[in-house]
Amino acid sequence: ILPRISLANLRPEPGDKQRGRGQHGGNRSGRGHKGERQRGNRPRLGFEGGQTPILSGYSKICRRPQYQPLSLKRLQYLIDLGRVDTTQPIDLTQLVNARGVTVQPLKRDYGVQLVDEGADIFAAKINIEVQRASEGAIAAIERNGGVITTSFYDPISLGILIKPIPFFMRGQPIPKRMLPGEDMVPYYRDAESRGYLADPEKIQQARLTLAQKYGYILPDISKDELYHMLAMRKDVRQIFFGLSPGWVVNMPEKKILKPTDEKLLKYYSS
Amino acid sequence: MAASMLCRRAVVLCRTFKGVSSSKTANSQYGLLLQTASYNPRPLKLNLHEPYIPDKDNAKTPDWQKTARYDGKLYGRYGSASGVDPASLWPSHEQLDKIIAEENEWHPPLEVLLKNIEAKEKEETEKRLAKERLIAANMAKMPKMIADWRREKRETKQKQKEEKARRTTLLAQARERFGYAVDPRSPKFLEMVAEIEKEEKKKKKLMKRRLKEEHAAAPVTPPAASS
Repeated sequence: ILPRISLANLRPEPGDKQRGRGQHGGNRSGRGHKGERQRGNRPRLGFEGGQTPILSGYSKICRRPQYQPLSLKRLQYLIDLGRVDTTQPIDLTQLVNARGVTVQPLKRDYGVQLVDEGADIFAAKINIEVQRASEGAIAAIERNGGVITTSFYDPISLGILIKPIPFFMRGQPIPKRMLPGEDMVPYYRDAESRGYLADPEKIQQARLTLAQKYGYILPDISKDELYHMLAMRKDVRQIFFGLSPGWVVNMPEKKILKPTDEKLLKYYSS
Repeated sequence: MAASMLCRRAVVLCRTFKGVSSSKTANSQYGLLLQTASYNPRPLKLNLHEPYIPDKDNAKTPDWQKTARYDGKLYGRYGSASGVDPASLWPSHEQLDKIIAEENEWHPPLEVLLKNIEAKEKEETEKRLAKERLIAANMAKMPKMIADWRREKRETKQKQKEEKARRTTLLAQARERFGYAVDPRSPKFLEMVAEIEKEEKKKKKLMKRRLKEEHAAAPVTPPAASS
C-alpha cells in the first residue's frame, strides 16, 4: 500500500505561488490586481457575463430528440371524457385530435412518451401506439388486456400524422415512413420496449416476463371480443391505419386515388 | 354534401376513409364516432361554391400559382372541379429516379443499419476488452512493484543510519585523540579519517590473506585428523 497523504508529505505543486507572506512573493502573488482573476472566482466555462452564450445555440442537448410526456392519468382522463375512442386503435393522430398532447416537429419533437404516472388508477383496454414508453406504463396497459407499440416517425411523417387534414388538402401522395437512425434502431428492435421492429414472438415472451415481474396475470388477447382491434398494427412504412404509402386522399369528393404505375408501386411498396 | 362533410372533425374523416378503403361504409359506427369526435371542432375554411382556379396563360397570374405544387393544392382543395389531372400528383419517372437515388444514399435499408450497428458494437467491445486486459496486466505487476519500492526505501534508510553511526563514532574518536570537539570539515579531521580508512583497508587485506592461508592449509589437515 502506498503511503497515505498527510501533512508530512504534502508540498505545493511545482511553480505554485504563495499568497501573502514571503520576502518578495507576498504582494499580489502573481495574480494581478483585483477582480475575478485575483480572487479565483471566475464564472463557469462558456459563461459570457450574462449575454446568451454563443455555444448554447449549438449545444448537443438542443439537438436531442424531444418526446412530449403523456401520463396514464391524463390518458385515463381523456378516455373517461370520451375524447379518445378506445374501440379503435389509438395513435398520435387520435391523441393530438383529442387535444391530449401538443407535438411540434419543428421543435425537435419526435412524438410522445407514455409515463407511468397514474398507473395504479389506469383501467382501460386499449391498443395504443406511442414513440417511447416506460416499463411501468407498458405493464399498466398490458395488465388491463391492452396492447402497446412503440414506433418511430421521421419528422416529415410525424408532421403528416399529427395534422392529416392539412396534408390531404395539399393533394400529395402519402409518403413512406422512414426508418429510424442507427442510434434509435436498438430501441425499436427491442422487445422489452415493445418496438415496432421487434420480433412478435419475442414481444409475446417479453409480455409474459413483464407480467411475472409486476405480478399480474396476463389476459389472453386472442380470445378477446376486440381481438381484431387489438391485433391491428401498422406496417413499418405505413403512416395511417388503413392508408398505404403512395395513395392520394381527395377530401372534397371523399375518394382515394391509388397509383397503378409499376415503378411507383414498386417504390412505395419497398 | 361535401361541404357539410368537411366541416366535421378530422377524426371522423379519417375513419370514414378507412371505411372506404376497406370497401365498407362507416355508417354503423357513425353515431358513436360523432359523439367522441365533436370535441372542440375547428371549422375548415373552404369556399367550395366558387373555387378560384388561376388562369395559367395570363401573365398577371403570380408564378407560384403556376407550379405543380399549387396544382396539387388545388386538387386537394376542390377535387376534380379544379381540372387538374390526378396522374400529375405523383412524381414522374425522372423525379422518381432522383428520389430513389437520394433514398439509396441517405436511407439505407434495415439490414445495412443492423450490420453497421453490429460492427460498431464489436469495435467498442474490442476496445474495452483491450483496455481491461492492459489494466489487469498492469495490476498483476503491482504487488512486485510495491515490494521493490519498499525494499529500496528500507535499504536507503539503513544506509543512512549506518552512515550516521559511523560519523558519530569518527567524531568521538577524533575527540578522544585531540581532546576537543573537532569541526568535521577541518583538514585535521579529514586527515584523521583518511588515516583510519587506510588502516582499515590494511586490516582488511591482512584478514583476507590470513583467510586464504587458512583455506589452503585446511584441505591437508582434515584427512590426517580422520585417519
